[in-house]
Amino acid sequence: MTRTILVCCGTGCLANGSLEVADEFRRLIEARGADARVECQVKRTGCNGFCENGPIVKILPDDIIYYKVRRRDVQEIMDKTVAEGQAVERLLYRDDGGRPVLHQHENPFYAPQHKIALRNIGAIDPTRVEDYLEAGGYQALRMALEMTPAEIIEQVKRSGLRGRGGAGFPTWRKWQAAAEQENFPKYVACNGDEGDPGAFMDRSVLEGDPHTVLEGLAICALAIGAEEGFLYIRDEYGLAVRNITAAIADAERHGILGENVLGSGRRLKLSVVRGGGAFVCGEETALIASIEGSCGEPRPRPPFPAERGLFGQPTVLNNVETLANIPVILKDGGDAFAAVGTEGSKGTKVFALVGKVKRTGLVEIPMGATLRHLIFDIGGGIQNDRPFKAVQTGGPSGGCIPAHMLDLPVDFDTLKSHGAMMGSGGMIVMDDRSCMVEVARYYINFLAEESCGKCTPCREGLRKMLEILTDICEGRGQEGDIELLEELGHTLQDSCLCALGKTAPNPVLTTIQYFREEYEAHIREHRCPAGVCVKLTSFRIDGARCRGCTACARACPTGAISGGVKQPHVIDPAKCISCGSCREACRFDAVETEGREAV
Amino acid sequence: MTITIDGKICSCEKGEKLLAVARRNRIPIPTLCHHESLPGQASCRVCIVEVVQQGRSTVTSACVYPVEEGIQVYTNSDRIRRERGMILALLHKRAPDSRLIADMCRIYGAPELNRVSVSLPGKCILCGLCVRACAELSVGAISTVNRGVTKEIATPYHEPSAVCVGCGSCASVCPTGAIEVTETADTRTIWDKTFPLVRCARCGAPIGTREELDHAARKAGVERETLCEHCRRRSMTDVLAAAYGD
Repeated sequence: MTRTILVCCGTGCLANGSLEVADEFRRLIEARGADARVECQVKRTGCNGFCENGPIVKILPDDIIYYKVRRRDVQEIMDKTVAEGQAVERLLYRDDGGRPVLHQHENPFYAPQHKIALRNIGAIDPTRVEDYLEAGGYQALRMALEMTPAEIIEQVKRSGLRGRGGAGFPTWRKWQAAAEQENFPKYVACNGDEGDPGAFMDRSVLEGDPHTVLEGLAICALAIGAEEGFLYIRDEYGLAVRNITAAIADAERHGILGENVLGSGRRLKLSVVRGGGAFVCGEETALIASIEGSCGEPRPRPPFPAERGLFGQPTVLNNVETLANIPVILKDGGDAFAAVGTEGSKGTKVFALVGKVKRTGLVEIPMGATLRHLIFDIGGGIQNDRPFKAVQTGGPSGGCIPAHMLDLPVDFDTLKSHGAMMGSGGMIVMDDRSCMVEVARYYINFLAEESCGKCTPCREGLRKMLEILTDICEGRGQEGDIELLEELGHTLQDSCLCALGKTAPNPVLTTIQYFREEYEAHIREHRCPAGVCVKLTSFRIDGARCRGCTACARACPTGAISGGVKQPHVIDPAKCISCGSCREACRFDAVETEGREAV
Repeated sequence: MTITIDGKICSCEKGEKLLAVARRNRIPIPTLCHHESLPGQASCRVCIVEVVQQGRSTVTSACVYPVEEGIQVYTNSDRIRRERGMILALLHKRAPDSRLIADMCRIYGAPELNRVSVSLPGKCILCGLCVRACAELSVGAISTVNRGVTKEIATPYHEPSAVCVGCGSCASVCPTGAIEVTETADTRTIWDKTFPLVRCARCGAPIGTREELDHAARKAGVERETLCEHCRRRSMTDVLAAAYGD
């Protein structure tokens, strides 16, 4: 028999040494020689999305999946699993009850997932076009070549697919608008400038299944009548750039793309443009300016890119994840895709579940699942079983959703009506030790740095909002600050030039809406209820709870904690810098915080 | 087609910009970054108006908004007054030395914003008109530098530009007079670079920098101008007079 060993070589696993693991497998297989009873092959796959447990190794056809595999484990896997089909129990995942999990689909992180955009990732070698073809790749493109543009767009329309990059604009409408233009040449472009802190679904698709993006883009090109396309990928995504570039070359070599697309006589030339590192280049008009070689600044719309985009010509710009859905929609039909999801948001969405949850990673689930399902079932709840406080959805310009709204279904319209947004699908989970004012300050600081500075409200407004938020966090808040932040926020929402500015105040406005009392505590009582803002927090050890384990004293970077073993410890306020390391280290909840007057 | 601006029915053509329609109908909308010859910046956002279309109200900038049949526009609603005031107040913090911005703050009832600090001294509001003017009329010697809150307008590396011809187009389009131009009898200094002034061969009045006249001559494919506008016209009348008699 033949066994296939799939070694995850996504960026996360690579960083944890998965390349060594894959090489060790290869070395051992070669060393065994030809007399082995079991033939085997090693494949390096894209990201499995459960990066915190990497490197991940999967053995087929047994479907046994191992986590945190090191080079020293490889020999045992070869001897037991590859040769005998038996599991190495210590490398299996343990579920919430501590039971070992043999198969991927039984893992509580993967079990509820429904993979469409991520369907091939982790199962194929992204550097081999043969793997993609074997998984049914480029069949949708072949089908599209037999269809008229109107028929292609009709299927996308029936699917109800909305742009996965953030705005949720119906994909078919963009295509239709560009298809109607009589102005040639037209262009297609893929937005791979994923810039949200904590979001990495686009990277995962580009790295792990590059041909799917190319196929989606090629189908779009057929639908609108374009012969040239660009993939704008942020330069920090080195592996994504490499895999996509190689995939284009491979596809051209196999006659799939290039001068004669699958022998149809149609032409499609794709090329990679490496992003210059600006968050704002995720905005479509800024991205277009950047491809054209100009400074990445947005311009007013209309005209929309479908009418006047790249080099002044009709252009369709789609997000990576949007394009990854296209081949499936064409192959299975728009109706099948639309059967998943909610009334207004069809299909699935990939979320980057990060923050204070037990299981973090990439999660693809049907639209309309609740936040509770996402955070507690898939994510396994909050680390150390602390209380859930809020989740920031949609990246830095999304909004903070509080605990009493955990049963909200996650779809484009519901999130928007609650002041947050789907965005690209970032989900940053926070526990009771997160200060919501500090969270807002952090995001506004990010956005103020990433604002292109073209329009007044974004450039100047964010600067002033940051100033006020910093004051509040450092104990210089004043009466009226909350109202001024709201006023500034509403001005930005209405009057900014592009979506970055219009959505930038969301973190501030939602934290004020749902956590106003926390702002008030900072301003009126000079107290940070979460014990995060350094200048408003002092730490104290509760002598009754302290067991004298010395963990806090060892964690303290300034040596401010004294006390013998099994004796209650004491913090010297003169040496304490309020960093909170002691509180993190304490397993008995003995470290308390209290407000202190601003210095 | 017609649209309604502040209750007044205005006729216009498809694709016309809202600001142009309003101005034709004597409905004032303030602007800073708009210039008739260099339209489409949409960066200052002072010209925001409320547009109601099919019952949906959005705020947009009038200078770039192409009108559509039947829209209702409010240039002075509570919402617009409040937000325009806030934008002007922010600009005042950015360009505290600009008289124009201070005056506009007063006229449009901008809030004081004493709570926050002044961002920088100076007059520049970073509207980008100077950059556009230089790129389109002249040589592209200046550009925006950095992004976000650290953005500024400058020559490369803040050094005197190798290509600047000292034409002063940037200064003449600047709405707040933020670009300093100093002239002596023989020189003009702009962006830290000093240019010799060329004088009219006939009357001796200054007609521009030597680099500027060379640049214009190269662009037009003619000899460099030696006469001022006035003398050029006079010399032409002399030619005509000689040809056709008195």
